[in-house]
Amino acid sequence: MLVTKPASNVMVPNRVIPALGVLALVLVWLLDLGAIQPNRIVPGTGHGLLSAVGWLGAGMVTLTLAASILLSLFPLRLRYPLLLGLVGFSLAALPLLLDVFAGRHLPEASPYARSTIGAGFWSLLFLLSLMLIEIVGRLRAGRGLQLVLLVVIVGSWLMLLRGEGLASLSLVREFNARPDEFEQALWTHLALAFGAVTFSAGLAFVLALKMIRSPAWQRPVLGAVSFLQTIPSLAVFGLLIAPLGALSSAFPALQSLGIRGIGWAPALLALIAYSLLPMVRNTFVAITEVPENLADAGRGMGMTERQLFFKLKLPLALPVIIEGVRITTIQAIGLTAVAALIGAGGFGAFIFQGLGQAAMDLVLLGALPTIALALLADALFTMVGDSLKPTPATT
Amino acid sequence: MRIWLPPVLLAALLYGLSVGMPVLEPLFQWLQPDKQTVIYDRESFLFLLQNHLLLVVVSAAVGTFMAVTGGIFATRPSGRDFLPLVSQVASIGQTFPPVAVLALAVPVLGFGEAPILIALILYGLLPILRNTLAGLEGVDPTVREAARGMGMSPGQILFRAELPLAGRVILAGIRTSVTINIATAAIGSTIGARNLGDPVIAGLVNGNTAYVLQGAILIGLLALTTDSLFEALERIWDRRFSPQAAV
Repeated sequence: MLVTKPASNVMVPNRVIPALGVLALVLVWLLDLGAIQPNRIVPGTGHGLLSAVGWLGAGMVTLTLAASILLSLFPLRLRYPLLLGLVGFSLAALPLLLDVFAGRHLPEASPYARSTIGAGFWSLLFLLSLMLIEIVGRLRAGRGLQLVLLVVIVGSWLMLLRGEGLASLSLVREFNARPDEFEQALWTHLALAFGAVTFSAGLAFVLALKMIRSPAWQRPVLGAVSFLQTIPSLAVFGLLIAPLGALSSAFPALQSLGIRGIGWAPALLALIAYSLLPMVRNTFVAITEVPENLADAGRGMGMTERQLFFKLKLPLALPVIIEGVRITTIQAIGLTAVAALIGAGGFGAFIFQGLGQAAMDLVLLGALPTIALALLADALFTMVGDSLKPTPATT
Repeated sequence: MRIWLPPVLLAALLYGLSVGMPVLEPLFQWLQPDKQTVIYDRESFLFLLQNHLLLVVVSAAVGTFMAVTGGIFATRPSGRDFLPLVSQVASIGQTFPPVAVLALAVPVLGFGEAPILIALILYGLLPILRNTLAGLEGVDPTVREAARGMGMSPGQILFRAELPLAGRVILAGIRTSVTINIATAAIGSTIGARNLGDPVIAGLVNGNTAYVLQGAILIGLLALTTDSLFEALERIWDRRFSPQAAV
């Protein structure tokens, strides 16, 4: 495992934030902050920082970045808390730039005109996020503070995006054109990903127990699940079409259940197959690596093998099993997006529909929630795993 | 020599099928009786295979170079400030689904091979970077001390002690990266790359299961060939650098 050493002396000037800050300054002045499109498909005209938000806006962006660079160089005691406030606030207020941009440039006469986000804005968002990660790391902030930061920033974004000023943003327009479809996609995506994870967790548990009882099973089971993991997702989805299609035409009853060559059935099967490797490996390793002297202590206390398993081994193994669930869930959320290619629905449907229509903001409407779901699952399971650890968490 | 047998056999099968797919026409005709053409014929399979391989090899080479350079920089005294951030980015970046990264490349770079290549490089370097950091950080400090004691310069310590010791972990990172990139490149045919994903996508669009199968079989074989190649490389590495481990 990686051991990252936080700087022992707080007074040492930080070189990471100035580097990120200078890069952000260069990119935000060089690249287009946003563009105005006359309609959905026609590429728009780009606007740099100055043209997009005027002297006042450009000045504020520049000043904020310059301030964070200077602040990180001065040996102030309160440097990192101040930086956290500055960068956190900038991130939360970032959509206001788009708001001002749309207000200054959107022609009022044409109802189809829309504003889109440019590379400059994305760079600013990305580099500010990196700064925030660096600051939070240096402060060694606890989970509580991280959660508050996340809620404040995400909450502010959602509020601003739902407001009047950003209604012309292309991404918001794509969403407003299909709120029901979006909700449907969200539920399909969650159902497929979590369905696969739940099912494979159960199956992996049984397989791991079998492997522990009869070691002869270890090599074939691990070999089979890592073989499944090696085959690319598109190939697995493709290979499942023919057998499932044949099955459903042979037994029409299956068709009424929705089991066909395309749709949710092959998607779920493939997702389960992919989920098995991390699940089986982590469950098996977790249970077998419970120290034998602890089991002996339990036996000495008069525990039966069953009690030993449920009261001692399983609780001790749980954090590693949860880590397997975390990896599996993230992977399943990503693969569910691919499953849209075989008609399984979910956010991937927006991605591929958008690619087909060359409507880039529809692609974003599919890709951004997929990423958000994966990050959310990551945070959630990391938290659950940490809270289950019997000893204080060590890095 | 037995180590090389699986990759060579699989590669021969892959090549044979790419060239000789039309021979199997009766089989696919039987599977798909209602279609006129059952063998994908817009491009030759060999051309698609070459393109697929080129994409993966180039992205792996560039990604490995960038990740190893970055990993070395972040573990030197001059770059140590960046280590926490770099390792955080490497692990957070891997939670981003590859499809989403691919999709995000299109609005920025447009359709075609370029956005796919850049997405593959960026996404593929994360596991390599992570493993490079883990490998270099995992080198026993006493080894470094011993090397310094022998009078080695920092560069010699890096190339003669640290990198050979970390190499096995870095190689495992490259294997993960290549496995992911073969899969992601196939999905890339939805944004205009011409590779083995094409028959699958074309088959899905036209409801031609035979196309889908041909693409899927070749992609699967390509992945297996590559994986067995890495398996062989890892064994050879073990044998050369840690003789007792290669039993």
